[in-house]
Amino acid sequence: MAFSSYSSSLLLILLMSSLGWLSSPGSAFLTDREHLTSSAIVKPYITECISTNQETFRCWWSQGDFHNLSSPGALQIFYHKKGFGSHWEECPEYIYPNRECFFDRNHTSIWTLYCVELRSQNNITYFNECFNVENIVRPDPPISLNWTLLNVSPSGLSYDVMVNWESPPSADVKAGWMRIEYEMQYREKNSTEWEALEMQPHTKQTIFGLHIGKEYQVHIRCRMPAFIRFGEFSDSIFIQVTEISIKDSTFPLTLVLVFGAVGILILIMLVVVSQQHRFMMILLPPVPAPKIKGIDPEMLKKGKLDELNFILSGGGMGGLPTYAQDFYQDEPWVEFIEVDAEDTDTGEKEDNQGSDTQRLLGLCHPASHHMNTGRSNAVSFPDDDSGRASCYDPDLPEQDTLMLMATLLPGQTEDVEASFNVVERAPAPERGERPLVQTQTGGPQTWVNTDFYAQVSNVMPSGGVVLSPGQQLRIQESTSATEEEMQKKGKSSEDTEDKRQKELQFQMLMVDPEGSGYTTESIARQISTPPAPPMPGEGYQTIQPQPVETKPAAMAEDNQSPYILPDSSQSQFFAPVADYTVVQEVDSQHSLLLKPPARQSPPPCMPQHPLKALPAMPMGYITPDLLGNLAP
Amino acid sequence: MNRMNKMTVMQSVVWPLLLWPCLQTVSIPLDCREDQGGLNSCPSISQEKLLDRVIQHAELIYRVSEESCSLFEEMFIPFELQLQRNQAGYACITKALPIPSSRSEIQQISDKWLLHSVLMLVQSWIEPLVYLQTSLNLYDVAPDTLLNKTKWVSEKLISLEQGVVVLIKKMLAEGLLTTNSEQGLFHNDAQPEMLESVMRDYTLLSCFKKDAHKMETFLKLLKCRQTDIYNCA
Repeated sequence: MAFSSYSSSLLLILLMSSLGWLSSPGSAFLTDREHLTSSAIVKPYITECISTNQETFRCWWSQGDFHNLSSPGALQIFYHKKGFGSHWEECPEYIYPNRECFFDRNHTSIWTLYCVELRSQNNITYFNECFNVENIVRPDPPISLNWTLLNVSPSGLSYDVMVNWESPPSADVKAGWMRIEYEMQYREKNSTEWEALEMQPHTKQTIFGLHIGKEYQVHIRCRMPAFIRFGEFSDSIFIQVTEISIKDSTFPLTLVLVFGAVGILILIMLVVVSQQHRFMMILLPPVPAPKIKGIDPEMLKKGKLDELNFILSGGGMGGLPTYAQDFYQDEPWVEFIEVDAEDTDTGEKEDNQGSDTQRLLGLCHPASHHMNTGRSNAVSFPDDDSGRASCYDPDLPEQDTLMLMATLLPGQTEDVEASFNVVERAPAPERGERPLVQTQTGGPQTWVNTDFYAQVSNVMPSGGVVLSPGQQLRIQESTSATEEEMQKKGKSSEDTEDKRQKELQFQMLMVDPEGSGYTTESIARQISTPPAPPMPGEGYQTIQPQPVETKPAAMAEDNQSPYILPDSSQSQFFAPVADYTVVQEVDSQHSLLLKPPARQSPPPCMPQHPLKALPAMPMGYITPDLLGNLAP
Repeated sequence: MNRMNKMTVMQSVVWPLLLWPCLQTVSIPLDCREDQGGLNSCPSISQEKLLDRVIQHAELIYRVSEESCSLFEEMFIPFELQLQRNQAGYACITKALPIPSSRSEIQQISDKWLLHSVLMLVQSWIEPLVYLQTSLNLYDVAPDTLLNKTKWVSEKLISLEQGVVVLIKKMLAEGLLTTNSEQGLFHNDAQPEMLESVMRDYTLLSCFKKDAHKMETFLKLLKCRQTDIYNCA
């Protein structure tokens, strides 16, 4: 059953299609004619049926190749409204010159299926077509097209145009009988392709971006919305806008200004970039770094003290130039503090220990030079990036200055007298390593006071304070090498502890009768070469409380024994100790090893040290235990 | 732009329609009398606005139905069998309705008759569209767009009917008591064969498209008559 019904429906389809082909070979005007096969003889056919207003419609026919049927009346059109009876009627109105059949309002039904046929006199049907009238509506084109200029772009190159028109009069849009939408197309006059704008139902539309000077062609066509057939195109209108004078336009002016500003900016940028260094110098002057001419800072970092000493002493090619005191006289910014060897120095900013003490005690030889401790920094020729204190006194004689410089740095173990060749020191805060100066120029044993601080040597039971005297120059022993090491290590006390284990076991505190109570390690070593059990002795070694990077205070407090480790041989030893003794290192027992003084020449001024006899008294510190010993 | 119009129209039409509280079955007119006092929650809408919205609704329905028909034609109907060319056998279900079909006829009928014609048309298509939807759902290869469109159309048709009922009530000041008595127009026979069902559906779609256009035109003519009676010849 299913198969039979299926086959029957298939047959039905085939029948219908064949019927269509047979009865109406040319029934193609509702769709495109493209599928029409071109046969040898063209039969008469209905060209098209069109309605413009959905109220009437017309059909045109053609006789094709059958020229014998070209006479009027040879071909007839019959129509038939489906659903209203199967009665065929002839065309209500013929217009033979046009080969047209016109259906007026009385004969036109919308939403009704019409079938029209083209028949000859002999009832041969050449053509058949069925349609609904609303589907064959092709509205008339709009009328009264005109355009107005909307605006011109600031550049003066393009403009916008508004095109207006009216709906076709045949289409009764106002009554709502038909809805119409418009499609506008435009093109440049010499172009072949049209530009189509979007369909819309209003009777005006804007075209954007037309170019000045070009001529444009515009036309419009209509159709009913949701239907597929368009009407004919309207007559074209031409749009052209010639060059507009832009005297009012400020566009070029603004453009020029903008470009000019941009150009100037670029120029300034170039200038700045090319002169970058100079600008940077002006705006951000470089901060001078501490520097000594001829000495590479890297050397200091790496601790090549030998070379440093060499350089500082003036040896070698890279020797530092001798100090030129004239140099300074030209520099107004260098403050020179006059140091009078004879007079007591009143201009010093800092304590001048020895001189003050001696002056106080009235013991000292007045021939002492004072140096401002502020000049502990190495004196060097003026540098551009020198940041040192300007405190060199140019009035001093050179040798004096040399001597002064020699004693500049606390703990310096050099014979100032012999240090004429050497002018500069490295600005090491702890010590300036001077190369060995052997020569004794034989200058007077001047008393160079390097007591920058008045050091309290002891506290009297009565409440008085004993200050340690100033100190003499010292000659650096031949322990420079070891001192070098020790210096290095002295700076980092804890690190070098292990290394120094084989070194001195003792820390000696020696009383320096004339000095500030410091002694250096070398001297200490001399005093007690064999490692001897610590013994309270006359000598003390004070631990410089100050500018040591390590923490002597802490160390000192921890270890009392180092304070009290004199050797028996100490008693003979009255080596002057600089007020500043650089702590070279801290040995395993947490005692500070100080740098040995330069020379052991007895100072001219040696105040009695009341504490000589006292056992193991630290000069700078009095620990609580010792305090008990002190107090009688 | 069409989409936007559609959405705005849908929103503008459906929303006021849905505000009526007495929304019941398809054909029962909405009872929104203002003399009922406290129960009254109908916002009043001017007749003109209502007519505008009904017209927009009808326009949309026509547009969507045309799209559906085109889709269907493309997919299922061979070229030779397209309805425009060969109308053998398949007629529309509403051909028997006493509805004017020419401009001259329409010009002669009254507003009342115009509205009632529209209502008749709308009511006669509600059930066939439901059938069409179920039939299309049986297809294996029916695209979702087609199904969605037909579904949308059948829903909006119901809204349109409600709008027209209210319009009749407002314009003609008459209540409508009768429901859809035209049920008999559509006979749902036994399940047809596949090919026949395709043709049937195609016919349904084409006919509905035609009738939707008719509804739209009638309503627009009515509007013209309301606003400018002299020029709406």
